[in-house]
Amino acid sequence: MTQFSPEEQKLIRLDRMRYTKNVLSSRLALLAIVFDVLYFVSIYSSDVGSWYYTLLIGASIVYNLLFMLMAFLSSEGVKSYRIGYAWLLMALGIGQIVRIFILPMQAWHAEVTISKVTYPIMETPQFTYVVICLSLSAVCCLVAGIIGVIRSRTLNAYTATLSEKAA
Amino acid sequence: MANISLQHLDKIYDNKVQAVYDFNLEVKDGEFIVLVGPSGCGKSTTLRMIAGLEDITAGKLLLDGEDITATPPKDRDMAMVFQNYALYGHMTVYENMAFSLTLRKEDPNLIHQKVMAAAEILHLTDQLNKKPKQLSGGQRQRVAMGRAIVRNPKVFLFDEPLSNLDAKLRGATRREILLLHKRMKATMLYVTHDQTEALTLADRIVCMSMGHVQQIGTPLELYDTPANLFVASFIGLPPMNFFKVQVEENRVCHPLFSMQLTPEEQQLLKKYIGQEVTLGVRPENIAEGDEISMKVVSNENLGMSTLVHGYLGDVRTSDSSLTCKLRGWCDYRSGDVVKLSFEKRHFFDSQTTAAIR
Repeated sequence: MTQFSPEEQKLIRLDRMRYTKNVLSSRLALLAIVFDVLYFVSIYSSDVGSWYYTLLIGASIVYNLLFMLMAFLSSEGVKSYRIGYAWLLMALGIGQIVRIFILPMQAWHAEVTISKVTYPIMETPQFTYVVICLSLSAVCCLVAGIIGVIRSRTLNAYTATLSEKAA
Repeated sequence: MANISLQHLDKIYDNKVQAVYDFNLEVKDGEFIVLVGPSGCGKSTTLRMIAGLEDITAGKLLLDGEDITATPPKDRDMAMVFQNYALYGHMTVYENMAFSLTLRKEDPNLIHQKVMAAAEILHLTDQLNKKPKQLSGGQRQRVAMGRAIVRNPKVFLFDEPLSNLDAKLRGATRREILLLHKRMKATMLYVTHDQTEALTLADRIVCMSMGHVQQIGTPLELYDTPANLFVASFIGLPPMNFFKVQVEENRVCHPLFSMQLTPEEQQLLKKYIGQEVTLGVRPENIAEGDEISMKVVSNENLGMSTLVHGYLGDVRTSDSSLTCKLRGWCDYRSGDVVKLSFEKRHFFDSQTTAAIR
């Protein structure tokens, strides 16, 4: 179908990067936000006793806000091949993995006794759900970041060669 | 190959207003045709009919012999450049130029090559990552042209593309369109009300008025041998001067002057002896001489020439006003009297307004 040799295709693909955006990384970053939203909607809707009413839930809320803000900014940043934002996305991805072991894990292991009856704070199906949400959010961030770093480096190297040629 | 044939085209709107009457034109492959005329003369309507944006009420439109009268615009293989650029504000220059090809799902590598080639032609390579709002009017118009070029259409249609630009930019962009035509050798139809654009760009000009074609010809033909009073007055800047004169055997007489006719003019006006005709003379065909006296009203120095406005006789009327373009720098003051001669004269039938030939 195409009339270009593999070398030409590679070169054109590189040159195209100068004018096209890194849409894949950007969309993955936005998808990470969506999974994060699904996570916190599920976890904050739990209403069993007062177990949640601690400093931890406050910190979790603040972190969610920061995550969404930073992930959104990064989605715009990686779109234009800014490598710093790609690293930030990777850091956010690691952060999402770490979060699995804080609030969800604690809630899964915790119990509350009301009128001498013991209830689990978070049942296994909900725990599985929030772990999947956070994991997917983490994967999206990490993949977006890795792609962002690779593409930014490739583009930087290519533009450097162009500048050398021009000089 | 892109030969266009417009056969007896009529356009009547739903409110029964007829915008175009019996338009006939044969456009050869690679020809640059300019449709010129005042606002509301039907030139844009004609272009939009060719593009398929307006229905053709009557007549036929052929492209390379194929009847495309009822063909939808997208299947006509024509690209149109509008006065207001019609660019997507949220897209970069590159994305704007690539957009139509992306919609067609062409190979991205091929799209890239086409966009880069067009950007090179239009000197837009450094602007490809910018948004339209970051560009000047001229650059925006070049992007609009680039968007047309990448499609590699059979025919380019331009609807007053330079009207939004300032005078300097207009001149520069005009030259670029001319170079573009020479380089691409594509068939182009261009609508303008600016006669300078028409004269400088066209291989042939179609001069229109009130929906009717007044004359079709090369720029020189329209300038030198206008078909009628309308073309004579529309083409040329400043416009031609007109006087109603009485034809005698070997001269023409005006209440304020009388002029000897050349043998050729006498032959031409033989059947008009004793009748009134319209004498036309271009300002640049008037020189300092001894045939008539003009009282100066104002003087505009243009550097290489001077425009002198005045009137014949003692009273300024529409039939005594005269503008002449004299060579060099002249310093006439209001009230000065200048002696002038008409170097080249045009005669028009006062009844039909057609040129007498």
